[in-house]
Amino acid sequence: MNQVKRLVARNAVPLLFAVVCLLGVYFAKMPGQFLLMEIVNRVARNSFLVLSLIIPVAAGMGLNFGIVLGALAGQIALILATHWEWAGTGGFLLTALMATPLAVLFGFLAGTLLNKAKGREMITGMVMGFFANGLYQFVFLFLVGTLIPFDNPRLRISTGPGLRNTIDLFRLKGALDGLWQIQAGLFVRIPVVTFLVIAALAVAIWAFFRTKLGQEFRAIGQDRHIAGVAGINVDRNRILAIIFSTVLAAWGQLIFLQNIGTLNTYNSHEQVGTFAIAALLIGGASVTKATIAQALTGTLLFHLLFAVSPRAGQTIFGSAQVGEYFRVFVAYGIIAISLALHAWQTRSAAKARLEEDASA
Amino acid sequence: MKRRLSVALALLLVFGLIGVAQAQALPFKIGLITGTVSQGEEEYQAALKMVARYPGSITHVTYPDNFMNEQETVIGQIVQFAMDPEVKAIVVCQAVPGTTAAFKTVRDIRPDIVLIAGVPHEDPAVIGPVADIAMETDQLRRGPAIAQLAAEMGAKKILHYSFPRHMSMELLAVRFQNMKEEAERLGLEVIEVTAPDPMGDAGLPGTQQFILEDIPRQAAIHGTDIAFFGTNCGMMEPAIRASLEAGIIFPEQCCPSPFHGYPGALGIEVPEEYKGDVPYILEQIKAKVAEMGRSGRMATWVAPVNMVFVEAGVDLAIRHIQEGLDFSDMAAVEEAIYEATGVRMSLNRYLDDSNFYLVLAESIIF
Repeated sequence: MNQVKRLVARNAVPLLFAVVCLLGVYFAKMPGQFLLMEIVNRVARNSFLVLSLIIPVAAGMGLNFGIVLGALAGQIALILATHWEWAGTGGFLLTALMATPLAVLFGFLAGTLLNKAKGREMITGMVMGFFANGLYQFVFLFLVGTLIPFDNPRLRISTGPGLRNTIDLFRLKGALDGLWQIQAGLFVRIPVVTFLVIAALAVAIWAFFRTKLGQEFRAIGQDRHIAGVAGINVDRNRILAIIFSTVLAAWGQLIFLQNIGTLNTYNSHEQVGTFAIAALLIGGASVTKATIAQALTGTLLFHLLFAVSPRAGQTIFGSAQVGEYFRVFVAYGIIAISLALHAWQTRSAAKARLEEDASA
Repeated sequence: MKRRLSVALALLLVFGLIGVAQAQALPFKIGLITGTVSQGEEEYQAALKMVARYPGSITHVTYPDNFMNEQETVIGQIVQFAMDPEVKAIVVCQAVPGTTAAFKTVRDIRPDIVLIAGVPHEDPAVIGPVADIAMETDQLRRGPAIAQLAAEMGAKKILHYSFPRHMSMELLAVRFQNMKEEAERLGLEVIEVTAPDPMGDAGLPGTQQFILEDIPRQAAIHGTDIAFFGTNCGMMEPAIRASLEAGIIFPEQCCPSPFHGYPGALGIEVPEEYKGDVPYILEQIKAKVAEMGRSGRMATWVAPVNMVFVEAGVDLAIRHIQEGLDFSDMAAVEEAIYEATGVRMSLNRYLDDSNFYLVLAESIIF
């Protein structure tokens, strides 16, 4: 009995979320085919991005809001790939290859900055994302066509400098998803290769934490000072952790966009950080501990709620827009409750430990 | 007695028929997606009107208020229509980012569905070929038209309020360019003002506050013979309010319509029975503007263009399915819009290879 209680307490956040999701599924009365299609699509799109958050958490740097930088690196590579008309799976791999050095550079800069702001990594990362966004807009709205020669009429605004706000990725759409799809039912197509790539990343992360470097990250995550005293180069490893995360985020954004098929030049990256982090937290992760299983269940639950909540709200209230307001209220409300539950759990865990120590 | 009864029966029959004509069920369904009232009252009201006109045949849903960030939800909402085998057409107004991706998916799984987009936010060259028909206000001709109207209303200068993200939209950029050229020809100066992006860190309140504060500031520098033009819907209500207070000229909104910004800025409460009633609202605005002593300084289009897009979108879909209306026949589409909404719109083809139409309507100066 106690064990069940502890299990529930430890997984309170995902359980609460799962209950709300099931209620949503019940009320939304969606066609099963559609629900399955949405979930398969959304999980395929987002899992890689959410997984990219794990390494910095283990290295004690909290949730990396800076993955926006990685997404930007991916998008810059995509813009160039579209300009040079790269197509198909080969083109996609080449794009990923091109995004990598950019992401390494961005990750290095971000990591260096975060080393100057130890203990405040999350807010620094978030503001860094805003800053990078401004810089990106400056480059692609102003410099392209003025300082940077670029006159592709399909990509540039006809009257002045700057790129168009939408870029059609038809040459790369489905470059990964389309390789091998299993038709399930009438509409659902499961992109096997994408899921294999996600699985490979999960295994790679698992294996990484068993290497020497992975163990060093863990040690730094446990206690930065002790790790330093033990002879681990803390600053260098922290930069490495951010570089890994940024590169993975760049690839993740590529996977996301090859599924969607259009790039919103100035917006596609904006939601990346917040949504991936929300998904990870819902999976039961915290600022100090995140596992692969948490990332994957979190992605599933977060997107399940976002998939069912619009129609659930509508059927409950019988009005399209009250449904929308309700959806926002419930979806974000639950995320807030999840965070509060975390704080409560951490405190009660600390208290339990104290009591154990006292009785011993 | 018998005659009276037969007259009564005949009347009943006639009114019954009208009733049917006004509210009739269709042999198929149409999926209609608009924003909530926080994004745009007009599209939502127009959608409710359509739901009432074709009871049980219109499935109306809304896209997220935060559509820029929740693009996957936008896509999901649109694609879900395709799951219902009875749905034969999808109308999206406004066609926010994500619509192209959703339309491509729908095409893939249900090629028989007619896809209609009103006010596309995505690049015309991208969404144009994917949609069966797309309609947008004629930004190209509006540039010069606004400059002319501003000059006619007595403006010496035009203030153009926008921000980089909007100026990266091809049509808005060209509209601005055309406006500048025409203004130069007319001897008007165009002043470019950069407002905070409502999707940026300060959000919509940041933009609105900027507009409220900046208009009096500009009026103090340039005098009151300046015309305001802003590219963002959220700017309109504060802009109309500030323009009226400062006494500057307001030729039209970003999405011209008597319902856009005016009722809120002027404190006009529209009773339930007048919701969506154009002549009523025009009269009310004229009276209020006159009351404030600003007659001749404020204007808009006679037609609420986004409402027209929703109503016309639904009716064009029906006529396409039932009567085989050819969307590439511009004159026929123009006529069909007039018959469906009672509003005369002048159409202009934007792209050769797709039915991407730009529309223009008459202005009214209050």
